[in-house]
Amino acid sequence: MEQMPIVVNALNVGFLQTLKLFFVTLLGAFPLGLIIAFGSMSKFKPLSCLVKIIVWIVRGTPLMIQLLIIYYFPGLVLHNPIWGGGEAGRFAAASVAFIFNYSCYFSEIYRGGIQGVPVGQQEAGLVLGMTKSQIFFKVTLLQMIKRIVPPMSNEIITLVKDTSLARIIALQEIIWAGQAFMKGSNGISGQIWPLFFTAVYYLVFNGLLTVLLGKLEDKLNYFR
Amino acid sequence: MKKLMAIALTAAMSLGLLAGCGSSSSTASEAPASSAASSAVSETPASSAVSSAAEEAAASSTADAAESDLEYVKANGKLVVGITDFAPMDYKDESGNWIGFDADMAKAFAESLGVEVEFVEIDWDNKILELDGKTIDCVWNGMTLTDEVKSAMNCTGAYLNNAQIVVVPADKADQYQTEESLAELNFAVEAGSAGEAVATEKGLNATPVKAQADALMEVAAGTSDAAIIDSLMAAAMVGEGTGYETLTYTIGLSTEEYGVGFRKGSDLTDALNDFFKSAYADGSMQTIAETYGVQAALVEQQ
Repeated sequence: MEQMPIVVNALNVGFLQTLKLFFVTLLGAFPLGLIIAFGSMSKFKPLSCLVKIIVWIVRGTPLMIQLLIIYYFPGLVLHNPIWGGGEAGRFAAASVAFIFNYSCYFSEIYRGGIQGVPVGQQEAGLVLGMTKSQIFFKVTLLQMIKRIVPPMSNEIITLVKDTSLARIIALQEIIWAGQAFMKGSNGISGQIWPLFFTAVYYLVFNGLLTVLLGKLEDKLNYFR
Repeated sequence: MKKLMAIALTAAMSLGLLAGCGSSSSTASEAPASSAASSAVSETPASSAVSSAAEEAAASSTADAAESDLEYVKANGKLVVGITDFAPMDYKDESGNWIGFDADMAKAFAESLGVEVEFVEIDWDNKILELDGKTIDCVWNGMTLTDEVKSAMNCTGAYLNNAQIVVVPADKADQYQTEESLAELNFAVEAGSAGEAVATEKGLNATPVKAQADALMEVAAGTSDAAIIDSLMAAAMVGEGTGYETLTYTIGLSTEEYGVGFRKGSDLTDALNDFFKSAYADGSMQTIAETYGVQAALVEQQ
């Protein structure tokens, strides 16, 4: 077990990359998802139609293919490798793919949350002379947030594990780091257990998230 | 009946959506066609695919440079080398720097061009994508010169000899010293590797797995009886003092050669061939080979 510290070190480095991708995706996808949700609910038909098609394409194709397209197509098709070959470029490409993919899923959750607020409340707001944006921010938004916490928690926990897909474009996240020991890395070769040990990291982190999201749900319970 | 109606309605709606805003999907549909044509790197980019003027300028300038890969690399100031962690060719020392026979040769080659070297770990399955997508400039990682590799890349001459050998549990090794004795075994081989090609050629039962290391894991876990992997890798990873002490290797099934791959039509290939010749002539190539214990496998450069 003298290998343990070396393996844990390497896995920590990999998990840091996993966490970076996780938080960057959330940071980007929360607002972008809301914008897409508004787009798909727009009264202007061509816009809502276009947004719905984009959501269909993004949700209907594997994230793995989207990663490959976003990372390799600029160089392959446009002959302009905008991402470069380095680690930063791979991370940037992965972030774009994840943000785009997850914001499409989030947009549907937002839409459900917004449309779940009874129409009567909006009508009441109109009667009181509130503007559309006032109605959204003062009446709908908080109720929407309360409604979307459970489905969002689901997506967020899935996201933690989905980050492992980024290894297809050689982003060195934790699964990559664990798998590297099977071949040889940091002077240890032919070890299988580090790959399976990565599951502990996911499990602990998702446990933490579950507790935090549960707390958030409780906090939002003061109104129904 | 209601269900049927709903399904029909949904189908009609999605068709309507497609017809209504079909233009948005045109970029997606033209992608496969252009990716098929992408093997010709020197091709000028379709300007319609590029949106902004700035992007267009950048794209055309790289397309010009692609006519001479050597100029492209020099203009970038660095040679991006695609590798995997593969001792003794490319691996990390204690302080995290890339060393190995291939890594040291790549450093020397970049120095001779007057550029920096950058090592990038890639997914081996995607090496041609990485090369054509210009995220790397060459594949230099103990790559066996197969017909597939040679048709997809512009490869240098061979610089190292290798063999495909059989790995079995050590306690069963004496039963499998002849090619005839292998017929009943279930092999694990790396998908798309030279080992898989040998297994197919000899009519052996083989299960493709993702990497050579996975093939070893299959044997160690008992899910496969044996594996076929590179002899240089087996020497480093199998037997006493390695991670797979219970395994050993027996007979060689085929011999093969390692080469370096560049983009199709690249002039870097000739530059590297010349570099190999001069490094072999002045003995620096032999010195590096001795550092990593592969001098016996070195191919004479002339």
